[in-house]
Amino acid sequence: MNRHRFPLWTLLGVVLVAALVVGSGALDTSPPTAAQRAAAIESVIRCPSCEDLSVADSSAQTAVTVRATVRQQVGAGRTDQQIEDYLVARYGSSIILDPPASGWTLLVWLLPLLGGLVAVTGVAVVLLRRRTATRADAPGGAPTLGADPSLLEEQRQFLVQSLADADAEYLAGDLSDRDYLALRQRDMVRLSAVESRLDELRGAAPDRPPTRVLVAEGLLSSDADGVAGGPHVLHAREPDAPATVPVAPAAASAADLPAAAARRHQSRSRRSWWFLGGAVAAFAAALVLAVSLLSSTRLPGQSETGSISLSQSQQIEDTLSRAASLENQGQLGQAATLYQSVLDTHPDNEVALAQLGWLEFETGQQGDDASLMSAGRAMLNRAVGLDPTDYAAHLYLGTVLLQQDDNAAGAVAQYGQFLSDDPTATVLQQAAPEVRLAYQQAGVPVPAGVPAG
Amino acid sequence: MTALDPTDAGPGTPVRHAARWIAVGVLVVAAGLVAVLATRPPATVAEVQSPLVGEQVPPVSGPTINGDDYTLSRPPGRYVVVNFFASWCEPCQEEGPELVKYQYQHQQSGSATMLSVVFDDTTAAARTYQETLGTTWPTLTDPGGRLALSFGVRAPPSTFVVAPDGRVVAYVVAPVTAADLDQIIARAEASGP
Repeated sequence: MNRHRFPLWTLLGVVLVAALVVGSGALDTSPPTAAQRAAAIESVIRCPSCEDLSVADSSAQTAVTVRATVRQQVGAGRTDQQIEDYLVARYGSSIILDPPASGWTLLVWLLPLLGGLVAVTGVAVVLLRRRTATRADAPGGAPTLGADPSLLEEQRQFLVQSLADADAEYLAGDLSDRDYLALRQRDMVRLSAVESRLDELRGAAPDRPPTRVLVAEGLLSSDADGVAGGPHVLHAREPDAPATVPVAPAAASAADLPAAAARRHQSRSRRSWWFLGGAVAAFAAALVLAVSLLSSTRLPGQSETGSISLSQSQQIEDTLSRAASLENQGQLGQAATLYQSVLDTHPDNEVALAQLGWLEFETGQQGDDASLMSAGRAMLNRAVGLDPTDYAAHLYLGTVLLQQDDNAAGAVAQYGQFLSDDPTATVLQQAAPEVRLAYQQAGVPVPAGVPAG
Repeated sequence: MTALDPTDAGPGTPVRHAARWIAVGVLVVAAGLVAVLATRPPATVAEVQSPLVGEQVPPVSGPTINGDDYTLSRPPGRYVVVNFFASWCEPCQEEGPELVKYQYQHQQSGSATMLSVVFDDTTAAARTYQETLGTTWPTLTDPGGRLALSFGVRAPPSTFVVAPDGRVVAYVVAPVTAADLDQIIARAEASGP
């Protein structure tokens, strides 16, 4: 089972890296067009008056200006760096969406890399430990002892500690009789082998103190398979005395130690899986961050790769919707600015013309500003001319004719168009008083569909 | 090579100490972060850093809301307060009377003057606003926001104080008062060119 996991992980990694490389466009060696260059720069410049939006994603006036400047400078042959420097010299370094790789902000770049490194190291350590553990627990996997005395001594101390732990766990009731015995048998065999090897290397007379570990006398003298429950007296004794440790290397194969080996293996496996899970989660988080930082923005002409961006008409709709919302909230100046921003790029947008025309007329009327009223009226006339089916433009123009010119007949003509364009019930209700007034002043019967005022 | 596993640490080994040290490390980092944030200057300071401060004022020219052409002399020869505003901006409405007061106070001596630039607003609305306020200084329309970009303006009101030698000496992003402007100019005079 474990033999298959590593190649699968490797394969997954290779596929992932390949997908990232291809997706990032790093293999595309064709030089970018001017529009692609401008789009790439715009995607890394922060909209000056927005929160964490690039100028490419914003329709604010400041973003429109920056976009125009970028395109102008690209056209003038300036490099990407020169254009960024130009903007930084005016707005400061915060105009660049990516934080600079210096000072404290360097941490933003280093931490993901560090996290990824730690995660990869963690995965490697876990995999190596699992392989080592698998070999150690494998049936017939007899220890092969080297000739390095310091390493052997380290192993000896580890085994002594392991035996002491087993004793402590047994005393605390954490180990069953069977498991305790199996664990002891295994570690004693290994300890014996290590100490024998150490003795060989150091000569016949051992220069180390005899190892003293606790053993459960009653338990060790009983049948390995027939261990009964109940208390056992523990006392110190020499662990490698053959009379009290009735185990031999030949009898200590892993087949004799199923429960203890399985318990230790499961415990280690659980720890490993937690560690592995944490490492993979950290790696995934670092990867997501790296991809978001390094992946390229979709440029004109490129196919979509999962990002959501609004088309030009959707952006206009979005701006008009925001303007209408502001207008309803009484933020008339900001609404007017948004309508104007639509007209800056699309002078024939009849909705923006009608709404801005009406706003300017109303503002001029309140401020007694004839030029503003005149400008608003001109916009309404244009809107009606551009889209004769736009009921809002007809409604506004009718009201202008009625209020400014006292031209009831002209107003009725516009209101007639308004009514024939199927306005919504809410709009009809709001417009009803002016409509009824115009019809009454013109001496024309009020149409049946107009609600009572 | 040995199949034994000395790294499989038992209870009471350095693993627990490692966890303790990691916890201490995290606490130290968190405490450092709190200290840094607590000692930072408050975000409500109106006068802010700008790459323009200390540099020469960008070229300022264009049509005014009354249709005239205007160009700011370089160097201007006196203090010039360049104020970006919009009629829809409430803080601008708050500072408007203070700017009028400031202009009135310095009109006679000619030591300083005002210059307004429309930011993200229609010319008609800006003209109505300035007329209501009773301003007497030039107001540039800034079609396309070119001037705002050259000054690095993000939102109204934004006010720059330009010294007689053409250096930008202050950038304020909140409503200013006549007293604020006098204070800025006094400081600039004291520090010299």
